[in-house]
Amino acid sequence: MSSLDVCLAALAPRLSAPQRAWFDVARAELAAGADDDRFCQLLSQASRYMPRGPLAPSASEQAAARKALEGWSSERWSTLECARVALVLSLPDLGAERGVRVLEEAFKYADIGEMCALYKSLAHLPAPERFVWRAGEGARSSMRAIFEAACCDTPFPVKRFDDVAWRQAIIKCLFIEAPMWRVWGLDTRLDAELARMALDLVEERRSAGRAIHPELWICLGRHAGARGLEQLERELREGSPRGRAGAGLALARARELDRLQSALAIESDPFVRQILTEALAGRAASTAWAALDPASSTLAQVR
Amino acid sequence: MRFFDPHIHMISRTTDDYEAMARAGIRAVIEPAFWIGQPRTTVGAFVDYFSQILGWERFRASQFGIAHYCCIGLNSKEANNEGLAREVLEILPRFAFKEGVVAIGEIGYDEISAAEERAYVWQLEFARKHDMVVMVHSPHRDKKRGIQRSIAVAREVGQPMEKLVIDHNNEETVRDVLDAGAWAAFTIYPHTKMGSERMCEIVKRYGPRQIIVDSSADWGVSDPLGVPKTAKLMLERGVPAEHVEQTTWGNALAAYSQSGQIDVEALLTTPVIDQRALFSDNSVLRGQAPRVDAPVPN
Repeated sequence: MSSLDVCLAALAPRLSAPQRAWFDVARAELAAGADDDRFCQLLSQASRYMPRGPLAPSASEQAAARKALEGWSSERWSTLECARVALVLSLPDLGAERGVRVLEEAFKYADIGEMCALYKSLAHLPAPERFVWRAGEGARSSMRAIFEAACCDTPFPVKRFDDVAWRQAIIKCLFIEAPMWRVWGLDTRLDAELARMALDLVEERRSAGRAIHPELWICLGRHAGARGLEQLERELREGSPRGRAGAGLALARARELDRLQSALAIESDPFVRQILTEALAGRAASTAWAALDPASSTLAQVR
Repeated sequence: MRFFDPHIHMISRTTDDYEAMARAGIRAVIEPAFWIGQPRTTVGAFVDYFSQILGWERFRASQFGIAHYCCIGLNSKEANNEGLAREVLEILPRFAFKEGVVAIGEIGYDEISAAEERAYVWQLEFARKHDMVVMVHSPHRDKKRGIQRSIAVAREVGQPMEKLVIDHNNEETVRDVLDAGAWAAFTIYPHTKMGSERMCEIVKRYGPRQIIVDSSADWGVSDPLGVPKTAKLMLERGVPAEHVEQTTWGNALAAYSQSGQIDVEALLTTPVIDQRALFSDNSVLRGQAPRVDAPVPN
């Protein structure tokens, strides 16, 4: 199934008859060659005709999404976004020059909701490398929803961003409070430079007397070095439960299992103990930080 | 109490204002498109302006738990630059149907010129065709005649009166607007438009039906707390609480929710937070201590 098929299959049971009618006419218009102006209108009007609320895809629908495009998670999409992405993917000349022109036009006039859908569509387009600059604009946004649309739950950044844009996007997650662990493929693109940037930020925050984001430690990977290990030890001594859990996960990723054992031996918080125990057993991928994310964790009571 | 300020230009206001507004109970605002204190020279400036009031400003407001809606329109002052006005009207439909656009506005007259009338009529026809609410800015000079003409032209175009809001009224104009069946909005704006005390007298005299209080706070000397301050004075002066509620919350909600763009139920559950757009857990409001004379927090 293509990404478009996945979107259409997800929409099918979620649209009422009138909603379905509007959507079908809209797609027929696009197929018949509606101009750029009309496409922008349809994208906009979707908010008035399509259902509200989260898409809430079933497990099999999520699996279909992953299968259509590795790195695509539809878990946090809204139904409206799904419909808008389907409209984008229904454009007949997406691979041609017109594809770039019409989408740039749509971006120019987009409101926040449309913009999120447009960014979410980029990885699904033919020759997505044509939209690298555009995706960078999303990563430069100060609106978290837009940043996440461009950077999270999509394979676009890991596959297409250059090193500067990639590292900036990862570090920016911390500033904009976006879930770094949702940046797909993060663990495949860690390097010493990203670790250095993260550790500079650790020092900056320590000098300012501020806490360290637990997700920052994801960036160290196997590049923690002596400087990184020193900061991890400090975090395990002084950090909050989430901070200690994050530092423990980072020790596992740095293959410092002896240090991790020692940390576990003196840890009394049951939540942190659980995370560290799982880290020792090898569960320390960037997605393990989901457990520390108050927005997604069942352990939301843990600060 | 909770308040709706249905006319305020938040792009000119600071985060201090947003904090004060949230504390005073303002839960929703409407930002009508207007000029920006000086005339723009290119259509691109309008594109960016419309995008800003639909995008970044709504995001800013959400950080303080305030629902932000807007009106899209070509204002009367800049309608006098006819070449530019044509270009703006051409791109206006691109923005008029966006989420949270509750009306076409603020449009109407400034000098009551022919060019202004052309832009006004074009936008009225657009609104009528698409079943939209219209927010009319009334002129400073020759106000009474300007308002009468705004109503007459709107009626001629076929705009339903219950979908017409005439703003910046005063004692001399209110009767015409109420008699027409339109909504009469009053701008609490120091020194020029309407003061809180006079507002109390108007509500006492005409009752709360069709009457809306707003601040129109912008880049000039103005007060983003104009609505709650006026509500407080109305209560002190013996205006019944339900009349205060109607003129500072309910009527604006009734007028602009005709657009279908206000999720009234969501607005009634405090605080207004857009979960879908992920604006909810912004830290601006978290653990806010009283600011006065406190050092800048780390």
